[in-house]
Amino acid sequence: MTPFVDRLGYKFNTDDGFVEEVLVSEIELLDTTGDVYCPCRMRTGDPKEDAKIVCPCIPFYRDQFAGLKKCWCGLFILKEIEDGTDLLGVIEEPQGEIDVPVFRVDDLPDGQIRHVKVGRHDMAVARVGDEFFALSNVCRHAFAPLAEGFMDGYFVMCPWHGWRYDVRDGSTDHPGADVKTFAVSVVDREVRVRVLLK
Amino acid sequence: MSVMLYGLSTCPYCRLTRTYLEENDVEFDSLEVDLLEGSERTDAIATVKEISGGTSFPVVVIDDEVIVGFNKKRIKELLSL
Repeated sequence: MTPFVDRLGYKFNTDDGFVEEVLVSEIELLDTTGDVYCPCRMRTGDPKEDAKIVCPCIPFYRDQFAGLKKCWCGLFILKEIEDGTDLLGVIEEPQGEIDVPVFRVDDLPDGQIRHVKVGRHDMAVARVGDEFFALSNVCRHAFAPLAEGFMDGYFVMCPWHGWRYDVRDGSTDHPGADVKTFAVSVVDREVRVRVLLK
Repeated sequence: MSVMLYGLSTCPYCRLTRTYLEENDVEFDSLEVDLLEGSERTDAIATVKEISGGTSFPVVVIDDEVIVGFNKKRIKELLSL
């Protein structure tokens, strides 16, 4: 799991005893259910829903976990956290603006754009040189996924009908059709997008 | 004051919550939802979904207040520990 969660901005909790406890529970669940479900979440019986609680479930709860600084059960913590033991007894639902790690700088080549889902937000994250920009993934014309579009400098062209959006501010030449943008930061070569948790 | 703990037998935070309540001599009822069977299980899952909006555990109900996760601070406040 380490290489995968590393790409998501996480590492194993530094509390080895707690990690072992969670992993033992997961192995028991693997034996009884056939997959490594989160030991702190209940399966619904709907395979599509239950796929969202297979460990590591970080991609499905990026915003909530970035606010908590750990995954729900605490097996994984944000890489910047030095001592995960401090977080073990803490579950306070985060609120306000949260910077959510989405991928590493090297995961997106210059001039490319890719889709990222953060909580309820579908985003297209674009790279121009060493700058990163995030905007809504949905074209306001016919709802096409902008992350499948074509980059041209600071503009992305919609893959369906070629509408152009400026990735810096989400603006377009079509009146009233600008798309939402999200603040992006780069910390320790990780790209983070800012979302508002309510 | 009534205290109810909904947990899973596999969940470390549920164990921490239970220990915390026991250490503080709190009287509480509890259910380990994954160990239930048949309609008892279905009913318990439906209850947890209704009161907490999901199926993440532990869920602690103190009178009318619902706490999702092991939120020691909130439990402490509500029970004046």
